[in-house]
Amino acid sequence: MSLIRHFLVIAVMLGAAVASPASAQGSSLARSDRASTISSVPAEVIVVLAKEEPGKIDPQLAKMTALRRPPFNSFRSMKVLSRPKLKLTLGKDALVSLPNGRRMKLTLLRVMPDGRYKVKAAINRPNKSDYLPLLQVIASAGDPFFVAGQTYQGGTLIVGVIVDPKKTAQ
Amino acid sequence: MESPKTEEEKLQMFFDGELAPEEEASVRRSLEGSPEAAAQLREWEQLRAAMKSVATDWAGEIDSDALFARIENEISAPAVPIERLKLEQPALRVVPGGRERRVWGGVATGFAAAAAILLAVMAWPEPHLDPAPIVRGSQVLEADFGSNTGTIFEVEGGAGQSLAVIWIDDEEVGLP
Repeated sequence: MSLIRHFLVIAVMLGAAVASPASAQGSSLARSDRASTISSVPAEVIVVLAKEEPGKIDPQLAKMTALRRPPFNSFRSMKVLSRPKLKLTLGKDALVSLPNGRRMKLTLLRVMPDGRYKVKAAINRPNKSDYLPLLQVIASAGDPFFVAGQTYQGGTLIVGVIVDPKKTAQ
Repeated sequence: MESPKTEEEKLQMFFDGELAPEEEASVRRSLEGSPEAAAQLREWEQLRAAMKSVATDWAGEIDSDALFARIENEISAPAVPIERLKLEQPALRVVPGGRERRVWGGVATGFAAAAAILLAVMAWPEPHLDPAPIVRGSQVLEADFGSNTGTIFEVEGGAGQSLAVIWIDDEEVGLP
């Protein structure tokens, strides 16, 4: 019947009007609220010594497929030197000692509304600005960023930083 | 073969503007001699106006209780005086109950559908309604290489996401 069709069409329009904007807004607000309540997050730093000489690839790197892609695949041996775990707190520096005497300083700057983390990093000798004075990165949980290029013991250091490694570690 | 239209079907199609011009003119002429049909048209017109008014209001903030109360009031409000009431009423009158039931059945079906949609929206788990895609990977916002030279690029992660790489050349430093 035509009249029934009128009512059904109106009912569907009303439902759609309620569903789309209200639910989307509520969901994004909920995520934003969660982000605003986070003040610290776990992190992991993986320090890898990579060399072009043939050798073994450390089994600990089996899941880190990015290190098997260019330009990292030019290295034929990789060894995990250290894998310190730390907690990043908003606005507070966390220090990680590197094998070449430099120190990596990591600071959680902000948790973005979409859940990603804004992190500041620096790698220098104590009281120096000799290597990487400043780096700002946005990373999603479990997805690393890498700082590579420091020469050490005939190889190259690759430093991977994973924020919130308990989530989707790659 | 198409079955001939009943008077009620014709009236509804006339109300919806679905009749051919000749049939429309015919119905229009018949309306002049049928106060009941004219009254029926007015009732439908009232219902349509009420629903249009409600639909317009729903574009803004929604107060479901107030809305349904308003709809019920609109529907149960006394009809505008019609010509039929001015006519002398017969002592006995055959009430077209089947037709009225169908019309009100349509109203009830419409509201039931609206209520079902509202409940489904309210009860649906939040993650299923999340329209925003999850952003993956890492990216460099700012880098200061100091006195060194460096390169920023990306490698693909295991899930196809872009992972930031900062490559800085330097000379090996000795342990302090």
